[in-house]
Amino acid sequence: MRIALSGVTVRFGPVTAVNQVSLGIEPGEIHALVGENGAGKSTLMNMLFGLVTPAEGTIAIDGVERRWASPQDAIRAGLGMVHQHFMLQDSMSVLENIVLCAEPVGRFGFVDFAGARARLDAIAESHGVSIDLDRQLGRLSVGERQAVEILKVLYREADLLILDEPTAVLTPQEKDRLFDTLRSFRAAGKAIVLITHKLDEVVEIADRVSVMRAGRLVASSPLAETSKEEIARGIVGGALPAPRIRKAQEPGDVVLAVDALTVPRRGQDVGPISFDLRAGEIVGIAGVSGNGQAELVRALTGLERLRSGAISLCGQRIEKRDVGARRRLGLSYIPEDRQRMGLALGASVTENANAGRDDRKSFTIGPFLRHSAMARFARALIDNYRIRVAGPRAAAATMSGGNKQKLVVGRELGRSTPLVIAENPTWGVDIGAIDFIHGELMRMRDAGHAILLISTELDEVIALSDRILVMYDGRVSGEVAGGEASRERVGALMTSRAADALGKVA
Amino acid sequence: MKFANGTMRAVLPWAFTVLWIAAIIFALLLFVGAPFGEAISGFLQGAFGGRRHAYLMATLSRTALITGMAISVMLSFRAGLFNIGGEGQLVAGGLVAALVATLLPGPPLVVLVVAILAAMLAGALWALIAGVLQLYMGVPLLVGSLLLNYPIRYIASYAVAHPFRDVPSGMVQSHLVPQETWLAYFPGTRLDIGILFTLAATAFALVYSYWTVHGYHTRLNGLSADFARTVGLPVRKLTLQTLAISGAIAGLVGAIAVFGIHHRYIDGMLVQPLYAWTGIIAVLLVGMVPWAVPLSGFFFAAVQTGAAGMERAAGVPKEIALVIQAVIILFVASRVSGALSSKERGGGNA
Amino acid sequence: MLELLLDPSFAASIPRFVTPILLAALGGVLCERAGVFNIALEGFLLTGAFAAVLGAYFSGSPYLGAGVAMAAGMTMGLIFAEFNLRRGGDAIVVSIAINLLAAGLTTFLLRAVFNVTGAFSDPAIAGFGSIRIPLIEDIPVLGPVLSGQSILFYLALACVPLLHVFLARHRLGLRIRAAGENADALRAGGVSPRRVQLLALVACGALCGLGGAQLSIANVNLFVENMSAGRGWIAVVAVLLTRGRPWPLFFIALLFGAVDSLSFRVQGLGLAQQFTDMMPYLATLVVLVVLSWWRARRARGGAS
Repeated sequence: MRIALSGVTVRFGPVTAVNQVSLGIEPGEIHALVGENGAGKSTLMNMLFGLVTPAEGTIAIDGVERRWASPQDAIRAGLGMVHQHFMLQDSMSVLENIVLCAEPVGRFGFVDFAGARARLDAIAESHGVSIDLDRQLGRLSVGERQAVEILKVLYREADLLILDEPTAVLTPQEKDRLFDTLRSFRAAGKAIVLITHKLDEVVEIADRVSVMRAGRLVASSPLAETSKEEIARGIVGGALPAPRIRKAQEPGDVVLAVDALTVPRRGQDVGPISFDLRAGEIVGIAGVSGNGQAELVRALTGLERLRSGAISLCGQRIEKRDVGARRRLGLSYIPEDRQRMGLALGASVTENANAGRDDRKSFTIGPFLRHSAMARFARALIDNYRIRVAGPRAAAATMSGGNKQKLVVGRELGRSTPLVIAENPTWGVDIGAIDFIHGELMRMRDAGHAILLISTELDEVIALSDRILVMYDGRVSGEVAGGEASRERVGALMTSRAADALGKVA
Repeated sequence: MKFANGTMRAVLPWAFTVLWIAAIIFALLLFVGAPFGEAISGFLQGAFGGRRHAYLMATLSRTALITGMAISVMLSFRAGLFNIGGEGQLVAGGLVAALVATLLPGPPLVVLVVAILAAMLAGALWALIAGVLQLYMGVPLLVGSLLLNYPIRYIASYAVAHPFRDVPSGMVQSHLVPQETWLAYFPGTRLDIGILFTLAATAFALVYSYWTVHGYHTRLNGLSADFARTVGLPVRKLTLQTLAISGAIAGLVGAIAVFGIHHRYIDGMLVQPLYAWTGIIAVLLVGMVPWAVPLSGFFFAAVQTGAAGMERAAGVPKEIALVIQAVIILFVASRVSGALSSKERGGGNA
Repeated sequence: MLELLLDPSFAASIPRFVTPILLAALGGVLCERAGVFNIALEGFLLTGAFAAVLGAYFSGSPYLGAGVAMAAGMTMGLIFAEFNLRRGGDAIVVSIAINLLAAGLTTFLLRAVFNVTGAFSDPAIAGFGSIRIPLIEDIPVLGPVLSGQSILFYLALACVPLLHVFLARHRLGLRIRAAGENADALRAGGVSPRRVQLLALVACGALCGLGGAQLSIANVNLFVENMSAGRGWIAVVAVLLTRGRPWPLFFIALLFGAVDSLSFRVQGLGLAQQFTDMMPYLATLVVLVVLSWWRARRARGGAS
């Protein structure tokens, strides 16, 4: 199947997410679509798949212009998409998940599961993707879920396969297996679009690379005719940003001491984990998402009770205290999920800016609030952090993602506590905001605060951390000094147990 | 021109909403074959007229109870707590007020004050049961608080049917509370001063919601419980305290009904008129904005007394009031969803 | 007391109480599984009870009465869908409004159509008779329970396995479950979750309508204001407790119905009527508390 997009523009209200993009996708080719978060890659593919309607432009398949009323049309035309967030039902079996929305029906609309099973067996044989059809999806690993998604697409006999950031949640081994599968599709003459922002993967597997930036297509060429550096320049626009200069400083006293911490988790507990964090250092926690980082953070902040172990903050035991008490003692927390945990979207900027810090006398008189002082504080935050919003009274929901995050970061860092826990602090925000937030974290470090940075973005961890702890399977699989960290070295620790991994990297 | 366009866009949906509601009401009137003119004048007369504005006073008296219940549930709703057990808390308050006043000897003012406080305590405790069930047993507040309406309804009914019944009256009701404890009427009217209590509760709710630290915290909890936990607010404590405040206000309303209107507890007197449910929809109508709640309470009271007037004047069954209220809420619900829904959805785009 | 429980006429009366709760709860299952938080079962049920009397009175046929009840219930489902799904009103708010609407409309129409308040009974209301099943009726104890009930009871019984199979194996059943669990997946597959939810709501209305018909033209031949008397809420609790699984739901409904029936039977034992009236709600509350507590404990324990 040969696909040609020409002059496609997608708008969301006043925002132009995709701007005049023309692109060709050829059969038997793996086409990498790269760009920063928010560059418009996913929107472009959602448009191709019929989830978003373009304002302008056309889709042509094998030379015939097509229009989709719904994804159903796109699916019928032979398109298949594996979304970044899996479109699966945890409570259903693998088989049910695969046939859902494309059910072969017999009498009275009952689903012909036997027929579906037979077809899937044939597919498994020819492509080497197989999985027990009767297992419940909720019990599968992330890699297995992705296999289910791919089976879904194959079951619908798609000729074009779109994968949106398929490796974000995979271990390198799972990634290798996925790439083998993709190669077999290529050999079978299918067209494949791989949305990613990891250049190594592009170089490894793609035949053709298209680069998007700020909604526009800035380059599209065979892999052989370009280089990693050229692609990288295309992604960020111009030269790469200079690496952050860090002030050499000796870390001070221990601020956070974690000793043999274990946290309950479905399946297997997380931990035991032990580490110290000192004043004036950033300790990064790297790892593929889902290896216990979330549980660790929830235990440290007090959102979840621990099974065993001890946590000390500034010399005081805190594991039995609640969130409020820990925060008063000297902890600030930038949560990963700003929509649900970082902000109350229905409340105003002022209300959000003061939440969790109004224990201070300056904002209250007895049981009453001092609105003027609260508004002044919000105003100062807006100015200092260059938050773009209508004003302190505007609802938090009216801000863009980057500005929301700046508000959260500003509120938490503004408390100036000895310890800051930052969990994926730049997830899904634009480059300008990323740079700003990184700068603020560095400034806090230089001023002598202890910062725990939990991030699934390896580059972020490497760029900012004085020391890096790597988590794998609920434990710390190794530690690397910031100066000696490389992607390869940390990456190796992300995938295997401490013992054998340390042997390899040492 | 642009401005006019914007206003049009804001006003037009509301205009359609009003038209829809009006059309449904007229369809109902048409169905029962009521003369429109008489129906409308009867409605206005019933809600605002009467000799020396007697009907208006009845409307205001009803407003006091509806608004009180509305304030009670509003405090819960703003805190994200789906407490729809206001009826049970109201009944608990009314029953306890009547029993304390009939059984407790002492100077009338003392009896009155003690009875009112006891009623508030009873309402608060009844609300707290639902809160405890939610926090410590995992029973969703919505169903827990609702189901608790029924036991107290029957307990109250039993109390005034058997141990505390005014037997000679022949009715299922308690004895009269001492006449000296009855709330006074406003001079020259048949309107008791109970509405002042409601106004005080409203003033409290206003100050509480906008100017107190506690109110601010409960609002954040209502908008997003995850957020409240993350920034370290004591979520459980806030939940129980809020429910206690809600229940206490509902209990107060029960006491007002006893001392101001019925002067005793009559079986069904707080349940049948659906005060609690009307209070809930009065809050929903104005999207949980505290200062607008009394207006909304007055509006629904007028719909009810107006419907009674319409029945007298044009023979329209007064039950039409419930239909009108429900239709209004249906149409308005989708326009002012307020904080009630933002809790679940929370989302929006990044 | 024990004597009473063993009384065959007590056992035989259980199905009459189970049927409305079960039918409403089965409707609730469809909504629950489709991800519609429908707590307006009380209103749906009440509407059905009134519409059944309306239909049976004017047509002289209980079947047409039940048909009218179904249609009325489906209309309520459509109203719910219009305001919740299409106009985006909060499901809880819409539910509260629909419950009030049902209470208002039924009392309003009671007066407007039949010109009575409180209750309407008339010999012209054609009720369902009981169906005697030869052979089965001769089984000791179970016989009088299984035989001699209204057709609606048998229908409700049949609906339990049917709904189970429907949800497990039917195309729409699969989609209903998906709409409730991850609606985005349906959207990505080109199926509108809203349409699925609309169908669930309408089917729920139909089942509740039949449940109402059982109340008014099978158990008795009359309509009383607020006749559903909280049974819709009990059905809501049953749905929430079983998370919308038909078989467990059946047993919970059986339990609630039995208590309902028992509360009727013990009235003659010198217990004040208020306490017997309270029984179904207390039983519901107790079951709710115990099961919720047990589940919460297990969830915490499951983490270990």
